[in-house]
Amino acid sequence: MFIEYSEEQNMLRDSAERYLRDNYSFDSRQAAVKQTRGYDADQWQTFAELGWLAMTFKEESDGFGGGALETMILCEQFGKYLVLEPYLESVVLVGGLIEAGAQPAIKEQYLSGLIAGELQGAFAYLEEGGVADPTYVQATAEASANGSEQNSFVLNGKKTVVLNGPEADCFVVSARTGAAADESGSSQGISLFFISSDAPGLTLKNYKTYDGRSASELQLDNVAVTAQALVGELNNGFAIATPVFSRAMVAVCAEAVGAMDALLTATVDYTKQRKQFGQSISGFQVLRHRMVDMFMEIELTRSLLMATAWKLDNNAADAEQCVAALKAKVGKAGRYVSHNAVQLHGGIGTTDEFSVGHYFKRLAVIGAMFGSRDSHLSRYSKLSAELSS
Amino acid sequence: MTDNVFRNEVRAFLAESLTPEIKRAGELMTSVFADFDATMDWHKTLHAKGWLAPDWPQEHGGTGWTLSQRYIFQEECKLANAPALFAMGLQMLGPMLIRYGSAEQKDYYLPRMLSGEDVWCQGYSEPGAGSDLASLITAAVRDGDDYIINGSKIWTSYAQHSNKIFCLVRTSKEGKPQAGISFILVDMDTKGLSVEPIVGLDGTVEQCQVYFDDVRVPAANLVGAENQGWDVAKSLLEFERGGHNFTIDHKKQMAKIDRQASTQLSGDGGLWKDNLVFEAKLADVAVDALALEFTELRVKGAFVAGGNAGALSSLIKVMGTEIGQRFNELSVEIMAEHAFVKQLDALLPGFEGEAIGPSCGLTTMAEYINNRAATIYGGSAEIQRDIIAKRVLHL
Repeated sequence: MFIEYSEEQNMLRDSAERYLRDNYSFDSRQAAVKQTRGYDADQWQTFAELGWLAMTFKEESDGFGGGALETMILCEQFGKYLVLEPYLESVVLVGGLIEAGAQPAIKEQYLSGLIAGELQGAFAYLEEGGVADPTYVQATAEASANGSEQNSFVLNGKKTVVLNGPEADCFVVSARTGAAADESGSSQGISLFFISSDAPGLTLKNYKTYDGRSASELQLDNVAVTAQALVGELNNGFAIATPVFSRAMVAVCAEAVGAMDALLTATVDYTKQRKQFGQSISGFQVLRHRMVDMFMEIELTRSLLMATAWKLDNNAADAEQCVAALKAKVGKAGRYVSHNAVQLHGGIGTTDEFSVGHYFKRLAVIGAMFGSRDSHLSRYSKLSAELSS
Repeated sequence: MTDNVFRNEVRAFLAESLTPEIKRAGELMTSVFADFDATMDWHKTLHAKGWLAPDWPQEHGGTGWTLSQRYIFQEECKLANAPALFAMGLQMLGPMLIRYGSAEQKDYYLPRMLSGEDVWCQGYSEPGAGSDLASLITAAVRDGDDYIINGSKIWTSYAQHSNKIFCLVRTSKEGKPQAGISFILVDMDTKGLSVEPIVGLDGTVEQCQVYFDDVRVPAANLVGAENQGWDVAKSLLEFERGGHNFTIDHKKQMAKIDRQASTQLSGDGGLWKDNLVFEAKLADVAVDALALEFTELRVKGAFVAGGNAGALSSLIKVMGTEIGQRFNELSVEIMAEHAFVKQLDALLPGFEGEAIGPSCGLTTMAEYINNRAATIYGGSAEIQRDIIAKRVLHL
């Protein structure tokens, strides 16, 4: 297997790189963080016009039919420029879930809006006490007593750390519709529901996250939805959620690679220019080797990333195993690279004014998202054992 | 008095004197600093009891405790969640003035430091002089009975709360860079001195940049002789390194991880404390922390025997901070997505609202972020390793 980009993929990368370099400065990013919305609505609109939001949807959904590789190409550039706009939340997660499993009416009504950048989505799947486990679901969706077509399910419960919640026009919410299997980590009995943000009984508590974005606590009090709101199969929402999570992990890992690249470049530049003890500190061997180790971590991660995206697009038998390997590797490399970038910058690396610390915080968030390094290491071992048996 | 009797006495005092607000400020610390007002309240409580400066000689307000008692006191204070006192005056400038200051300086500054009337910050680093501190260029030029200072100091912790700053300034460009540095005390109200806050990565202000624009300071504020400041500063850095017990911090971190691991699910179907991979990693760090604890005790033993820490203090600084950072990483792993939540208001001792997420994870991300600086300030991990290479291994 050799990984080569197609001409279209090269063009996508080059145009994303060029657009962000010319139009997405760190200063304008920081100005957007301080606004209530937390990102730049004009940028989002431009992303839509450039076709980025449509890139990975099927042609019958008015997309361009791209896959994990296209997700990777875009997100790597997003990471490099610390892009705030909710591509992961709105397009990869909610767009992916709706395309894969929403009923035709919902799909028709919302998917084109998400692709056009007119609507925003958020996936509410985490709950307090078990954030490390997306199958820990206590929220319930009960088939409504009167059984009328209008109110088929009533949802109750609480979701935590719903990324992009404050800006979302619609949510996909996980809720329990059946009993869990005895086996731990089983997703049996969990269903996904589409809920509009103006649904009665839905309450949000909004806040900022350390990486400059926003999230919500979501309270569901007797939120009534029709059977049309079911996304994916009843009691088996994870059949569509699992591949969407895999795509989302490729997205954040690509972002991590872009962010690490930017950190290494910044660190190399800074150490060349910073003089202590009468010389550039880049001349000290201990620092040179540190930067070489950063470089090696990044390139190894990039190889895993490219292979994983390719395997997902080609339905390779070991694709999921590679996703676990990639997320675990990003956990380790992200820490190594960001910690040392801050360390080699010294004091200024710890300030809000300088970009290095913001890359560090984004990498910390990515590392903790969708399962830590440890959980993916054990997933990797389990999947390896299954594949070899 | 046996150590156990003493420990009980300290515990009894802490139980009655640590008000809920002061204690809350200690619990909510996300760096080496606690909430300013609560810290000063605690400072005054300890001053009233006469226990504010155990490390000072008794004639200047010290307690006359044995080294072991001082250690017990520190340990009990931290374990009871007392906020850390501001170290710049009590731990650094105080001992230095006692050693190098004139009689007038001691009589004037030490009581004001104890009463809390003066809050000190440290003006060492400059934008162009960090690890290479001796290259500092902020200049003090003699003019009659005064010096006129021009330049800038950076990473000045809590300068926004301080009314006094002690500085290293250049008084001569002759000879080695170290030979032209003087140590001087400056009133922050002096005309021409201004403070600009630096926002940290957690969104709060702990550091500042201090600017000197023709700041006129009496020559009597010099500590030690002109151009002898480097020796004075070197003794202070020893205080800075020797004065910290990382073991107590590590024990607090471990207690916090224990609370998190006993309540949060790992995603493997059980609690984190039942997750073998996680527990093995925790044990790995805990063993290093234990080895460091015994190293700290060895150093204290050497002190009692009249020796000094020497380059072991560099080892303790490197390992103490790096182990602390590894504990931070484990906490972030447990708290997962809840670590993202930025709720600075909930980190204030007076907060009465409802915080997002489990209370055991409230400080996790801010601690992780802020603690990256621990291997940078007070002599970076790289500089400390250089010291060991030179002084111990004679490389």
